[in-house]
Formats: sequence, structure tokens, C-alpha cells
Amino acid sequence: MPSLTIDGREVSVPKGTTVIQAAEKMGVFIPRYCYHPGLSVAGNCRICLVEVENLPKLQVACNLPVTEGMVVHTGSEQAEDGRRAVLEFLLANHPLDCPVCDQSGECDLQNFYMNFGLYDPRFREQKVKKQKAVQLGPHVMLDQERCILCSRCVRFTDEITKTGEIGIFQRGDRAKIGVYPGTELENPYSANVVDICPVGALTERAFRFKARVWYLSSAQTVCNGCSQGCNMDMHYVLDRPHLNEGARVVRVKPRYNPDVNQWWLCDEGRYGLEWIDKARLQEVRGPGDTANADTNSGKATWEQALGAISKSLAEWKAEDVGARIGVIASAKLTNEELFLIREIFRDALGAQVSAWVPEDPGTCDEFLVKADKNPNTRGATLLNLTSPDAPEAERIVDEALAGNIDLLWVFGYDLVEGFGEQKVRELGEKLKLFVYSGTNENPTQALAHWGLPSAAYVEKDGTFVNHHGRVQRIGRVFSPLGDSREDWRILLELGGLLGLQLDWRDPQEIFLGLADAETAFAGMSYGTIGDQGVEVACTKPTEGVTAPW
Amino acid sequence: MVEILLIKLVVAGLVFAAVLNLAGFHTWVERKQSALIQDRIGANRAPIFGFTMLGMFHGVADVLKMFTKEDIVPDRADKVLHTIAPFFSVFFALVAFAAIPFGPPLHLGDRVIDLQVAKIDAALLYVFAMLSLGVYGVILAGFASRNNYAIMGGLRATAQMISYEIAIGISLIGVIMVYGTMDLAELVRAQGQLLGGWVPFWGIFAQPVGFIVFVTAALAETKRLPFDLPEGESEIIGYFVEYSGMKFGMFFLTDFLETIVVASLATTLFFGGWQVPYLTEDGFLFPWGGQLPVQNWVYVLLGVASFSIKGLIFCFLFMQLRWTLPRFRYDQLMNLGWKGLFPIAVINVVVTAFVLAFLGGSS
Amino acid sequence: MAVKAVQRRELTFWEKLYIPQIICGLKITSTHFFRNLFLHTAHLLGRLKNVPASVTIQYPEERRPLMSRYRSRHRLTLREDNSPRCVGCMLCETVCPARCITIVPGEHPDPDVEKYPIRFDIDLGMCVYCGYCVEVCPEDAIRMDTGILDLAAYSREAMRLDIHELMGPKLRKPISDCSLEFPHICASADGEMKGGWDSVPRSKGS
Ligand code: SF4
Ligand code: SF4
Ligand code: SF4
Ligand code: SF4
Ligand code: FES
Repeated sequence: MPSLTIDGREVSVPKGTTVIQAAEKMGVFIPRYCYHPGLSVAGNCRICLVEVENLPKLQVACNLPVTEGMVVHTGSEQAEDGRRAVLEFLLANHPLDCPVCDQSGECDLQNFYMNFGLYDPRFREQKVKKQKAVQLGPHVMLDQERCILCSRCVRFTDEITKTGEIGIFQRGDRAKIGVYPGTELENPYSANVVDICPVGALTERAFRFKARVWYLSSAQTVCNGCSQGCNMDMHYVLDRPHLNEGARVVRVKPRYNPDVNQWWLCDEGRYGLEWIDKARLQEVRGPGDTANADTNSGKATWEQALGAISKSLAEWKAEDVGARIGVIASAKLTNEELFLIREIFRDALGAQVSAWVPEDPGTCDEFLVKADKNPNTRGATLLNLTSPDAPEAERIVDEALAGNIDLLWVFGYDLVEGFGEQKVRELGEKLKLFVYSGTNENPTQALAHWGLPSAAYVEKDGTFVNHHGRVQRIGRVFSPLGDSREDWRILLELGGLLGLQLDWRDPQEIFLGLADAETAFAGMSYGTIGDQGVEVACTKPTEGVTAPW
Repeated sequence: MVEILLIKLVVAGLVFAAVLNLAGFHTWVERKQSALIQDRIGANRAPIFGFTMLGMFHGVADVLKMFTKEDIVPDRADKVLHTIAPFFSVFFALVAFAAIPFGPPLHLGDRVIDLQVAKIDAALLYVFAMLSLGVYGVILAGFASRNNYAIMGGLRATAQMISYEIAIGISLIGVIMVYGTMDLAELVRAQGQLLGGWVPFWGIFAQPVGFIVFVTAALAETKRLPFDLPEGESEIIGYFVEYSGMKFGMFFLTDFLETIVVASLATTLFFGGWQVPYLTEDGFLFPWGGQLPVQNWVYVLLGVASFSIKGLIFCFLFMQLRWTLPRFRYDQLMNLGWKGLFPIAVINVVVTAFVLAFLGGSS
Repeated sequence: MAVKAVQRRELTFWEKLYIPQIICGLKITSTHFFRNLFLHTAHLLGRLKNVPASVTIQYPEERRPLMSRYRSRHRLTLREDNSPRCVGCMLCETVCPARCITIVPGEHPDPDVEKYPIRFDIDLGMCVYCGYCVEVCPEDAIRMDTGILDLAAYSREAMRLDIHELMGPKLRKPISDCSLEFPHICASADGEMKGGWDSVPRSKGS
């Protein structure tokens, strides 16, 4: 463990650590363009220059292993001068079209120039013109003029995706980034190059000219695209509805979590969030005046809906025919909600509850993308809602069709897709009460007696357990759209109307109750979960796929 | 009998038409005069067929505007009184003209027509009674609006008008003593005499102090500047704060009507009314012996013209005063009325009485 | 609290009489009145035209010259091909303290321009005429030099200038003959008063 001094403070780090890492550990930020902790060291941008005592020249901090007794100055006059000179070189051919550059506001060229550049430009020659607005692939645009040739993108495709589409062509000031002829940047992780590009050379096509980055608010959440549960920051805009066609979610960026997704995010998850703002179910739809009519064309209020539903539920309960109630929950619900469903429907009413919805496995790979597209299958399993003794969704539907079930509540699952419209229509006619609660418009909703709008997962708080057994908090990014309500709120209210003793008020308290009830979650709270999540007590991945780290 | 009635009606119609038009015309004069005083141009828009006539049509536009504007009656106001109040004001201002002689008697064949709507013996009292009744319009407006500001404005106005009425009344006692009559026609005729053969025996020469007191108090009585506290059109809120449309317009009109009444009164009482110096019924009789006989209709015409010109000059003077003087403060107003004008008027009466007694009753 | 006693000047007897003072005042106002009356009459007869009788400016016909830095109604400057200079960088939208600028940017076919405003509205009903938008613009694309000050409209909607009205300062809503297809050379923008405010029956909205 060599120890060294950085900016007058001593620190001991493992052998082989570079100065930039050691400094980072102490909280000293050394500017960098080409260095990225997830990639190999290239050492070609030279912006990370630091002064090391007894070494004649400035050194690149990203490629300098620490040695015993090293004394490093990151902010000395000499180091700053060196960096300023490097910056001037980097900007010599730079177009400086910040006003139209999507990166501006989060661009390291801008930031470093403002931090320590602030020189008067001396470059009077003609700047080298290169290609602008080059489409590299389905998600990524390239502006060759803005590229500073840090080669992060090249290394990403070489080392992480191992697809190697991007390369540097030509030499000297004509050197430029591009994809190899005949290829496109279309690997499942392609948009990550946008995140790692320190400047505005690589930009997202989906975000292109949609907004300026300073309009965006950001909140932490996790992806619900698959059971990996990658951490991400959701960037949204609420106060300028003319941007982004009124959609709130503008883009997402991966959030570093060494145990889940490191710095990366797959394209499927990144661009799979349109449903949060489009075609949402926004008002309560009920049978209107005629109770138990087949259509739910009428608009209704939450009071009417929950009142009617709880009244029927109470009747069944009184007649002790709880088994005639069926609930198809979903592994897209949070642990808290699944727990409430279990408490209310299975335990209090004695209903048949299933969160086990067989689906065709989706795409998957060895890296992040998992075949199970439900974010909380593991949570449902831990709550015994998908275990073999719980009925399958199909069985519930069959029983309903056979006339053994009078009430069916479907949470978010599109039955029409799974069982065909004919069957669902039949269900609608057979059942005494058919409730659908979900986020978006779909055919099942139209066939149910009551269609309850529920909040998207980023509109509510709660936890998911990823396939690896990691409990992660999803956080609440913004408030529910329209009249929609969080599922937990609907359930709590229903429980109250049924006269159950559920004295929780919010997901945080529900989770504490859950932690008390389930050993796998024992001792956990939102505090201990934090923003990086914790593993549940017994870690047993549901699938054989393990992350490469 | 019917003929007399017809003649009276014609005369009355003429008088009221003239007076009302004059009041409308006043709005224009006021605008233009103030503009000229203040180096502005004043009203110069409101064209009819492209002619602006120096902005004279603004008055017409005003009236149209007033008539078409929404007439707002406050919810809690006394609807009846609120409606009647402006009529009160206008009515009393108008009927005050009835007793004012505006020309010498006209001989039409063997008929003698008095150029005066109503021949009243105590015409002077009548005019003042009418002017004083005008205060009801004001106090009713303030009271019926059910608005604290309006009622304060109304009370201020009442206090002011009553205070100054006393000064006016007393200032006129001198005039009455000198000419020995309260009949205005008689009074005017009396002013046709010459004083020492040269100077017309007008009230201004007989009662200079009375004149000043009268004009001042009359200005206050009619709520013209610098005594326009009750109205204070935009700065201090007056009794008509709750009025809009033509009802407001009527108060506005009253203002101008009263100005004209006061101007004609001042003319009648102190400037010989329709008298033209040295002009008698037979023609001009100059003190140096010259003579110029005129026909009766010329004589009447000259008389009416004389009356009109004198009245207009007074109107002009009142306007000029308005745009010259700043407004009084309320305490100053009361001080002036009770401690200034009232004693002066009383002293004037006493002095007049002594002088008359000394001269041995000249009239 | 400090009290400052102000010594008022005692009025002289002459002043207290008041009437002489009134006459002094009347003298002043009358001088003005008769002088101006004379001058106006002379003007009507075509004489003494060079001696002004009033100090006022007859507003809609006569206007005071504007200072060159006066901030009047906005306009968007044009390129040679009549398309807007603006690159839709939204810096003005960002800086605007009244938040009255609304820009929706789009992709320009020329990659050297890259960006352009599909929609560019300024709500003059909210604008505080601070001129920050002009100052911040990196492209000199927005200026407040039209000299138009009489901004009045019959609806809030009409106070909301769209890109046509901003590109052609004489244009007023509704503008019917411009499509924002690319390349955007707005036919209505080169001075032609199409869809002028007073010539066209006003349609609600647009
Ligand atoms: S890459 Fe950075 S410096 Fe370059 S144009 Fe974009 S924002 Fe500006
Ligand atoms: S495109 Fe971006 S990441 Fe790639 S080399 Fe250029 S600057 Fe670096
Ligand atoms: S002048 Fe000021 S308030 Fe008006 S649009 Fe420009 S920045 Fe906004
Ligand atoms: S600052 Fe200039 S270039 Fe940018 S959006 Fe505004 S007007 Fe257009
Ligand atoms: S970060 Fe060290 S050389 Fe680029």
C-alpha cells in the first residue's frame, strides 16, 4: 500500500492505482477527457496534467501509477498552465457552436474552459472543416468537428460491447471519428457512447434539439425494463410543455452502481419509456349509472369506483366465498403493492392471487439485458406470489371462465394479449365484477367493468428486487398524470373501505411492515436501501445468467 | 289667454334651448381654453365627415358616449333616489333661468312681450330658492349611493353650499337696498339711469364690495374651482362617485348650467343686465348731447346682445379662474366663507345703509 | 424621530388680500391664453407658422424620434434567403425574465446551420422589454429595433407574436399564406401586408 501526498494531504492506496484514482478517492477532481473508470487507460488527451515533485515534466494523472512517497500538486500554477495549453490545443479546431450543441450546459470543454481556461484565443488560421450531423446508428449522431479524439467511444465499442464499430480515421488535424465502412453503430448498448463522450461530438438522436440541458430536472430511479433493474437518472421537464411534444420524460442517463449496471444502460431500457407520457389512462372509467354493465364507457370518480368495488368485496367477504375472488397481480408492481395485495386479497379476503404471468422470454444477453422483462419477479417470488402454491394467471382465467370466480381484478396485465380477445370478452360477460387497473390504454381495460388509472412506476415510490436479489428503491420522479393514482394508494384506500386495520400511510411505512413480515427483507428500511440498494438475505438468482463482474 | 301662454312657451323654449346649448358648448370652451392656457392644442379629433371643427364635435361624442354607457346602480343603493337625484340637480339649475330678464320688452304691434320667462315680483328670491334647492340633488346623490365616500362628498357639498348661500344673500341685500326692488326686471331697468350724467348706474359701481363677495360666494355655491371640493373629479371623491352614464352626465351638465346662471345673475345684478350704456328706448342719448334714434327691434336686439356678451364674458372669467387657481383646502374654504365673506357682506350692508340714509334715500 | 420645523414665510398684507394675487395669476394665464389664441388664429390663416402655439406632439401623426438604443417591438432578423437567422438555441427563452418566449427548435437541412426555430412566439402581453433576449442572442437573430411602440390588440392571443409577425414587423395575425416547410423562405415576410390586422376579418385564435 504505497502512500502519497496529493495537494498536501497524505493517502494510502493499493498498488497499481493511478494518481487520478487516488485523487478521486480523496475527493480531488482532476480534469479528464480520455480517462473513464470503466475503460482502459488511453492517456491521449493530456488534460489531466499534474505536477509531481522531482519529476521534470508534468505528468498525466490518468496513466501514472502511484509510488511510495510521491508528492502531487493538482492545482499548481504549472499544472494549470499546462492544462490551459492543452485546452487551447483541443479547442483550436473546435467549431464552438455551443448555441446549437446539445451538449452545452454539460460539456467538459465548456466547464474546464470556465474553470481554468479563460484564455484569449490565439488561433487565427482557418479551422479544419469536417462532417457535421453524421448519423452513426439508430440512436447516435456524430459531429466530427466537435470531437476531441479522446477515443472513449472507440474503447467502449472495443472493450465493453466488443463490437468495435467505431474507429479513428486519418491523421493529424484531419483525424476523425467514424464507423467502419459498411457498419452502423447499432449494438444494444450504443447510446452509452453519448454518455461517455465528454463533448458534444456524440449526441442522442432521440434527444436531439428537444430541449436544452439546463431546462431538465433530474431524479434518481431505476429502470423497469427488465429484471436487471439498472440504476438511472431520469431527466424531465415539467414547466415548458412546448418542448418534447409535451412529454415529461426527456431522456434518461445511467446512474453509476457498481453492483448492477456500473456506468451503462441498454438502449432498450433507455428508449423504452415513452409509455410514461403517451396513451395513458387518465380518468376513472366505470359502468356509469347502470351497475355491472358490460362497458366502462362512462366517466366516474374514484369515490364511485372504490365505493362500488369495496361494496361488492364486502358482500363476498360476508358470505365467506372469498375464493370466488381472483386477482392477477403483476411483477411490474412494487414490493409494497404486492404486499398490500397479499394482505388484503389473499389474507383478509381469501382470494386467489397470482403474480405469475407466464410470458415469452424477451431478448437477453450476457451483460445487462435480462430475458425476464418484469422488474420485480424476484420480489413477487419472495412474497410467495409466484411460488408453485400460488395459482398461475391462466388458472385464474380458466376458473373464471368456468364460472368459479365472480370477481377478477387485473393489475396492469393485458389479458387480451395473453388470452385473446374472445376469452376476455367472455370474462367481461361472465364476471360479476371485472376491474382493471393499469397505466395505459389497452384492450383489456376497454373490456373491464371498471378501468382504474394507476400511476406509472416513476410516479410513485416503492422498491423492486432485481433478478440478483437486490432491493432497489425506485423513487418518485414526478406526480401522477391526470387522475391516475398510485396502486398502493388505491389498495390502502380499498383496505380502509373494507374496514381492514392497515395503519400505513405511505410506501415507506408499508415497506417497514413488509420487512417485519418477510424474513428476506428483515431489518431493511428505505434508509438502509439508500440509492444503491441492498441484497436480500438469501441471494439466489432466478436465472442462470450472472453479470460479468 | 292662449296667446299669452303660447308666447310664454316660445320664450321659455328659446331660453332653455339657448341655455342648454350654451352648457354643451361650454364643455368645448373649457377644453380649448384650458388647452390654450397650458400651451396645448386641446380637443381636435372627433371628425364628422372629415371635419373636426376645432374639436367642437367632442361634445356630441361625449353625449353619445354618456348615453350609450352602462348605467350602473350600486346593488345596495336606494334605486329611486339614486335615479331622481341628477334630475333634481338639472331641473333646479334650469328653472332658475325663468326669472332672469334677458332683454328689454319687445313691442310686437300693440303687444308688449317681456323677454323673461316668468315675471315674478320677488324674482331674486326665486332664483336663489331654486339654486339652493339644487343642494338636494347633491345630498340625495350622496345619500342614495350607499357609499361612504359619496355621502361624505354630499355632506361636504351641502355644508359648503349652505355656508356660502348666507354670504350671497347678504351681499345682495346691498343691491336690493340701493335699487329698492327684488324684481329683476325692475332692477335692470333701474340700472339704466346714469350717475352724474356719465357713468351708468350699474351695480358694480354702486356695490363694488358686494360684487366681489357675490362672485366669490357664487363660485363656491356652484362648486366651481377653486371651490370644487365636493366634486374633486378624480382626486378627492365626490358625491357622484357611484354614477355613470348619462346620470353622471347630468351632474356634469348641472355644473355648467349653474355657471351660466351665476354669470347671468352677476350680469343682471351688477352689470346692468341687458342695458347698453346711453341706450334708452328712444335711442342713444350720449352725455355730450349726441343722439341716435333706433327702432324698437334694434333696441331689443342690442339689449339681448348686451346681456349675452356680458354673460359670456363672465363665463369666460370663471373658466379662466378655474385654470388659474388651485383648489382650497376644506378648512380654508370654511374660514373664507364664515370669517371672510360673511362679515364683509354684513359690513357692506351696514355701510350701504348709512350711505343711503346720508344721501336721504336717492331711490 | 427628528422633527424639522419648516419656517413658512409670513404673507404680506398685499398677499393676504388675495384678490391682487388672483389678478396676478389671471394675468399669467390670460397672457398664455391670448397669445396662443392669436397664434392659432394666425396659423389658421397661414401666418406665423414658425412660431409654435403649443408644446405638445400630435401623437399618431407626429412622433418623437426614438433613440437608437430604444427597445421597441422585437423582430427576427433574416438571412439573405429570407429564412430566419435564429438557430433556435433557446438562449433568449432561457434568459427571458418574463418567460414570454416560446421556441420549438427543429433540424435544419443544412448541417452547417443545424437548428432552426419551428415555432418562435413572443407574448408581448408578458414581455417586460428588458432587452435581455437581444443581448444574449449569439446570432444577432433577434432585435428590438422596429420602432413599433403602439402595441395594442383586441385579444391576448393577438399579443402573442408568432414567427411570421416577428420576421415581418408589418405583419399581423392572421397570416394565411406561409407554410413553415423547408427551406423556410417565408413568402409573407418580405414586406407584403398580407392578412393585415385591419383588412381581414379576425378569426378567433390563430
Ligand atoms: S462540444 Fe462543448 S464546447 Fe463544443 S460546441 Fe458543444 S458545448 Fe460547445
Ligand atoms: S466522439 Fe466523443 S468520445 Fe468519441 S473520441 Fe470524440 S470526443 Fe471522444
Ligand atoms: S425583452 Fe426581456 S422580457 Fe421581453 S422577450 Fe426579451 S428577454 Fe423576454
Ligand atoms: S438567442 Fe437568438 S439564435 Fe438563440 S433562439 Fe434566441 S433568437 Fe434564436
Ligand atoms: S485524461 Fe489523462 S490523458 Fe486524457
